[in-house]
Amino acid sequence: MIPTTTTARTPGLRAALRWEIVKLAAQARSRALLAAALILPVVVVAVVNGQEQPPSDTIYGRLVHLSGYAMPLLMLAFAAQWVLPLLAAVVAGDIFASEDQHGTWKTLLTRSVSRTHVFWAKTLTAIGYNLLVLAVFAASTIAAGLLIIGTQPLTGLSGQTIAPAHALWLIIAAWATAIAPTIGFTALALLLSIRTRNAALGIAAPVVLGFTMQLLGSVGGLDLTRKFLLTTPFESWHGMFDQHPFTGPLATGLAVSAGWTLTCLAAAYVSLRRRDITEG
Amino acid sequence: MSDVPAVDAVGLTKTYGTLTAVDRLSVRVGQGKVYGVLGPNGAGKTTFLRMLFGLIRPDSGTLRVLGRTWQRDGIRALDGVAGFIESPKFYPGLTGRRNLRLLAGLDGATSPSRIDEVLETVDLRARAGDKAGGYSFGMRQRLGVAAALLRDPRLLVLDEPANGLDPAGIRDMRALVKRLAAGGLTVLLSSHDMGEVEEICDDVTIMRAGAVVYHGSIAALREKAPEQAHEIRTTDDGRTAMLATAAGLTVTPLDDGLAVRGAQPDIDALVAEVVAEGIALRALARRETPLEALFFMLTEPGAPAPEPATTGAAR
Repeated sequence: MIPTTTTARTPGLRAALRWEIVKLAAQARSRALLAAALILPVVVVAVVNGQEQPPSDTIYGRLVHLSGYAMPLLMLAFAAQWVLPLLAAVVAGDIFASEDQHGTWKTLLTRSVSRTHVFWAKTLTAIGYNLLVLAVFAASTIAAGLLIIGTQPLTGLSGQTIAPAHALWLIIAAWATAIAPTIGFTALALLLSIRTRNAALGIAAPVVLGFTMQLLGSVGGLDLTRKFLLTTPFESWHGMFDQHPFTGPLATGLAVSAGWTLTCLAAAYVSLRRRDITEG
Repeated sequence: MSDVPAVDAVGLTKTYGTLTAVDRLSVRVGQGKVYGVLGPNGAGKTTFLRMLFGLIRPDSGTLRVLGRTWQRDGIRALDGVAGFIESPKFYPGLTGRRNLRLLAGLDGATSPSRIDEVLETVDLRARAGDKAGGYSFGMRQRLGVAAALLRDPRLLVLDEPANGLDPAGIRDMRALVKRLAAGGLTVLLSSHDMGEVEEICDDVTIMRAGAVVYHGSIAALREKAPEQAHEIRTTDDGRTAMLATAAGLTVTPLDDGLAVRGAQPDIDALVAEVVAEGIALRALARRETPLEALFFMLTEPGAPAPEPATTGAAR
């Protein structure tokens, strides 16, 4: 006998997405991270501005007292070392593993949403949230730099002077280049969250891997390897501040980030689809 | 009522390395029945129920739930099915009502009045505004039933619903299941408690080490059960054992006393005879029920599997 068919539409991605967003909004950690992305840059800019010696060992560090436009670039270079991988991992590294931690996979997967919907809902929520944090972090940093230090012209990496209006666009563009590798680190954290089923590992491992990539990138003679590291795209903005701007690193950075993102998401998706939910 | 079985499993097998969690399991649950899956811990009950919900993929065999299969219908295989596996879990930072509302959203949303209705059914309406993280075990079990009822299921699957509950909670949970079943719902219930299954279920599958050792009706199972056993302690257990054996009763020596199995009138006669012989009776107590005794016989390691009793509800 043919089973009775229901005419009700099976809830899909939208229902799963709404579910994830509500859960994320209810998390104190996600709200705290957003608040930190808003407030901490102001504190850091104020402290650096108050120091007699600028942090001259980092790109644009020696210029931070001379132009408010240098400060966001210094912050971007510094954040790329571990802050951005950490920001990317805090929610993404936890979003799948928390279902294991709370034992709620069975609660979720015995309703009318498929694993595919759950996967994409969590992935889109994590990426969306991380881009929001990045945008808040960037906006706060740029605003703090300009308001606290000033809108003096910026000196380019070739020594040329960049007018304030143009410098602002370049800085926004420089921060925009962090979007792709941030999504890459988000995908890496999502994969680790699924594979390890452990939120602490899901959050810490991408940061450690980011550090390891930074170290590898600084080793001489590994130019080809360096090109494929997920941390390298965080530096792709340097060419935009040259006397004769070049975009090669931007294109490479986008391709490398896309490669990491697609590989990690594919592996994560297959892992979740094939997994037997024997606990949680 | 449709004659499509609520659950039709044929030859389900699931192995983890060298461990066979479920071994060629075949179960058919007719609609409108209250069906028990009984077995000791590790018998494979929960693995079977997880397969039913698509949480675990069987290595081989076929499984139809209300006529649907996971391979063909995907998530729609769960249409009309609800329940929980082991203890139900919720998001601790959200209230009971908020958890239900979000879960309802995953099923295509429902009205607030329906949420109130299911909360009322499980007697949780007064605590619905509290965070689920602060709920007692029994309250979480009842919230699990409420979450399942929100789906308006035709098949309700409950894995050890009385597990971890105090006696009052067990009584309430059993009453709730009976009430739901009386409304025409098919209930598939797993348990390791023979008494619970005997009280609630029409039919039962008994599992041991992943395999079925019995399936059929509770009534047919009763016919296979041994006679009631009593534990007797006297001032002269040796002489009492001789009297019992002479009366045709089955006697098993215990560390302290005897286990005597036989019909109630024969036990009564033995007690009278023991007293008449001048032997003082120190203790007389019923041991496990006959069905419990049969359950232990069927499921203890090394126990021989009896011929399966088959009825219309089971293969």
